[in-house]
Amino acid sequence: MLFKLSMSGLKSKLKDYLVLLVGLVISVSIFYLFQTLALNRAFIEANSVISQIQFVFHAGSVLLAIITFFYILYANSFLLSLRQKEFGMYMMLGAKKRKITVLMFIETIVIGFVSLIIGIALGIGLSQVIGQLLMKELEFTAGGYHAFYVPSIVVTCIFFLVLFMLSAILNSIKLSRVSVLQLVHSDVQAENSFVKGKKTFGIAFLSIILLAIGYAAMLNMATLQQLGIIISLVTTTSGTYLLFMSVLPLIIKKLKANKKRFEKGINAFTFAQLNFRINSLTKVLATVAMLVALGAGAISVGMAFKNNVMIMVEGFNTYDVVTHNPTAEEKNILADIKFDEKYEYHYKVDDQFVYYTKEDLEKQRPIIQTFQDEKSFRKKEKVTGELPVGSIVGLEDQQSGLAVPEEWAFALDTIQPYYLYPDHKIKIIDQKMFGDVKGKEGIAIIGKSDDFQAYMMEWKKIDELQQKKYGNDTNMYSKYRSYQDMYGFASGTIFMGFFLGIAFLAMMASCLMFKILSGATKDISRYQMLRKIGVRSTLLTKSIYKELFLVFLFPAIVGIIHVLVGMEMFSFILIAPYFRVWLPIVIFTVIYASYYCITVQLYKGIVFPKTN
Amino acid sequence: MKTQVVDVKNVKKFYGKKGENQSIALNGVSFSIHEGEFVGIMGPSGSGKTTLLNVISTLDHATDGVVQIAGTDITIMKQDQLSDFRSQKLGFIFQDFNLLDNLSIYENIALPLSLQGVPSREIGPKVKKVAETLGISAILSKYPSEVSGGQKQRCAAARALVHEPAIILGDEPTGALDSKNAASLLEAMTNLNDEQGVSIMMVTHDPLSASYCRRILFIQDGELYKEIHRTSTRDAFYKEILDVLAGLGTQKA
Ligand SMILES: Nc1ncnc2c1ncn2[C@@H]1O[C@H](COP(=O)(O)OP(=O)(O)OP(=O)(O)O)[C@@H](O)[C@H]1O
Ligand SMILES: [Mg+2]
Repeated sequence: MLFKLSMSGLKSKLKDYLVLLVGLVISVSIFYLFQTLALNRAFIEANSVISQIQFVFHAGSVLLAIITFFYILYANSFLLSLRQKEFGMYMMLGAKKRKITVLMFIETIVIGFVSLIIGIALGIGLSQVIGQLLMKELEFTAGGYHAFYVPSIVVTCIFFLVLFMLSAILNSIKLSRVSVLQLVHSDVQAENSFVKGKKTFGIAFLSIILLAIGYAAMLNMATLQQLGIIISLVTTTSGTYLLFMSVLPLIIKKLKANKKRFEKGINAFTFAQLNFRINSLTKVLATVAMLVALGAGAISVGMAFKNNVMIMVEGFNTYDVVTHNPTAEEKNILADIKFDEKYEYHYKVDDQFVYYTKEDLEKQRPIIQTFQDEKSFRKKEKVTGELPVGSIVGLEDQQSGLAVPEEWAFALDTIQPYYLYPDHKIKIIDQKMFGDVKGKEGIAIIGKSDDFQAYMMEWKKIDELQQKKYGNDTNMYSKYRSYQDMYGFASGTIFMGFFLGIAFLAMMASCLMFKILSGATKDISRYQMLRKIGVRSTLLTKSIYKELFLVFLFPAIVGIIHVLVGMEMFSFILIAPYFRVWLPIVIFTVIYASYYCITVQLYKGIVFPKTN
Repeated sequence: MKTQVVDVKNVKKFYGKKGENQSIALNGVSFSIHEGEFVGIMGPSGSGKTTLLNVISTLDHATDGVVQIAGTDITIMKQDQLSDFRSQKLGFIFQDFNLLDNLSIYENIALPLSLQGVPSREIGPKVKKVAETLGISAILSKYPSEVSGGQKQRCAAARALVHEPAIILGDEPTGALDSKNAASLLEAMTNLNDEQGVSIMMVTHDPLSASYCRRILFIQDGELYKEIHRTSTRDAFYKEILDVLAGLGTQKA
């Protein structure tokens, strides 16, 4: 009988249960998604340039487990709150407490079980789809990656069964502790118990210290190695949680204390809403901040590795294309490319030298790389010096005065690649002498397009044509090949970065949305009342936008700071970890902003009645 | 003759879809309230009092008929106009208190003032004054979940009175109050009515509360049944009300 009653209660709160189920399902599937990588040791070791990758994944697993743990606990306390009032009513009418407790236990387990099954199914589907999409996008064939991976399924099942069992027990204990009266009035109890005064400041201080230690560890990762990962993991995570638990209520309190602002229009309500649930929000927001850090961080790292490819390639090759005596086909392709700089040099070859003219070269001074130190790796300049007539490249004896200046030697390295005439030296002569030289005439073309990556297909084609032209024996070298090699080297890491980034951001979204939507039902009557006393619905909408904006803002700020500091960790492997770091951050901001808008819309959908 | 604050003409309200089990809450009610009047509405449970109040207070749409408040036909007003109208001209005391549980009592009472853009320094004194009148000064810093039902009702009343609306609408404002508190609330309302000419329309079951009114409309089954005026003392009026109610009862039975 009681069971039937409770089922009907369940039906009446279908919307809330849906929110709960979606939240749980997503957390299960993201956990699974992560484990398909983390547990697939062969794959990650084969595809990463980071030697400690296995360890990084272990650390990530622990972190994700902690986050998921809090998330599930919260979700289940929400489940309890859904049922409290109803169960209280049953008890008031004489239902036995033991029976109610058992009912709660069963319900938690059943919901957990259902979400586990759907979650794993979704997880398999998601990893398949995301994996395939990314591989296609990155032109990366990840052999050995399995979307359906049994060890991951097993680990996910065990982890969540334990979690659900734990939260079922917790829910039952909580239920058996409170009195009937508390249950019946559970929906009107204020949640505004602050950590008071001095203690708050103490905790805030502690959190700052922890964060400072964490950041210091990240910045000195090169020396600390594995220890650094552990230290920063522990301190940054705990620091973030403490920061949100202490500082956020303080900020809201401060905002609220400003009477002038507070008593203006709907602000009183907006801040009261925030203040009212800030305590239950802090942990979730800290979790969100961590997920933002992980998600945006993973994407930034992926992008940084991707950028690093181009940085390296550009560092070694200034000119996108170098070709000698282009065929008609090559010329056709070259004609379609927009060049920022394109030079043609005439040369002659006899059986000893390759001859270039001083006039030709000095009129078209190429850009070269100046390798002074690591910092100026990417510094590029036009060759400036004069080119002495009669000088020869590669002359052992510098003293003789006939050697080509170093700068020009670099330039000629590009113009006249070594592989064309391996046993010839290059000699500089003037125009008049050039006419007298007897030998095969040739033309060398070097070009720098406006965007190397925009003409990938063209470079590839030219590369193939050149190889045909020079013969298969020639050990040809080109910027395109250098790009291919570098990219192949980094693509596994890029793949993992993007894959994890998407996973973490999805988890973050579900976490935030879940928190906000799970509270929405309680807000219906509040908004209804405000409308009754004559608050325009546009004003109410504004209040919602404002409240949720603040809720979204704090974790984003903290998360992004974590990312910015954390990127320094990769300076040991990346030339410029911060190069274009704004791009992933902008991408993240756009995604995050759309989460915000979606959440506001969903929330409005629940809180405002349908207009008829 | 004073101008009409409320003018209700042949108002009907049906709940549910046409045809199938439609319930008639109001079936052609007409009356008007002049500026500065203190009117009571009485009638058996389910007779349509709350519905009438909701229609007048622009919270609900009438199925048919015209409702004019202060000369404006509210049935043709836009959503935003209605909101502004409610926040400026009307003060409500609802049957269920409708306090915001996440605001303290003080904040709840201050809300209508904040919404109207009253400067912060003027809000405090106004709230304190009205709280004094209703005897809730001591609980201003508490939250609704921490005060008694009667205290909540007085807070709701304070919120309805604080911005000195043109008309106060009350649905059983004294329902949860003991006789002393009920009396002080009614005194406060009478004062507002006498001194500031605020019009009041109040639904009540309690004959004693009703005796504070100047005029009482009785409704039954969604129709106006009888109307009485207070001509002499409150005591006499009280007896008169009792008589009518007795009549209502017997007739119904
Ligand atoms: N939302 C609704 N849907 C359908 N019927 C309704 C609705 N609200 C009220 N009714 C019906 O309309 C009639 C009048 O209801 P109303 O709430 O106005 O009564 P009342 O006079 O205020 O009663 P009480 O003194 O008990 O508060 C009742 O028969 C009621 O069942
Ligand atoms: Mg009623």
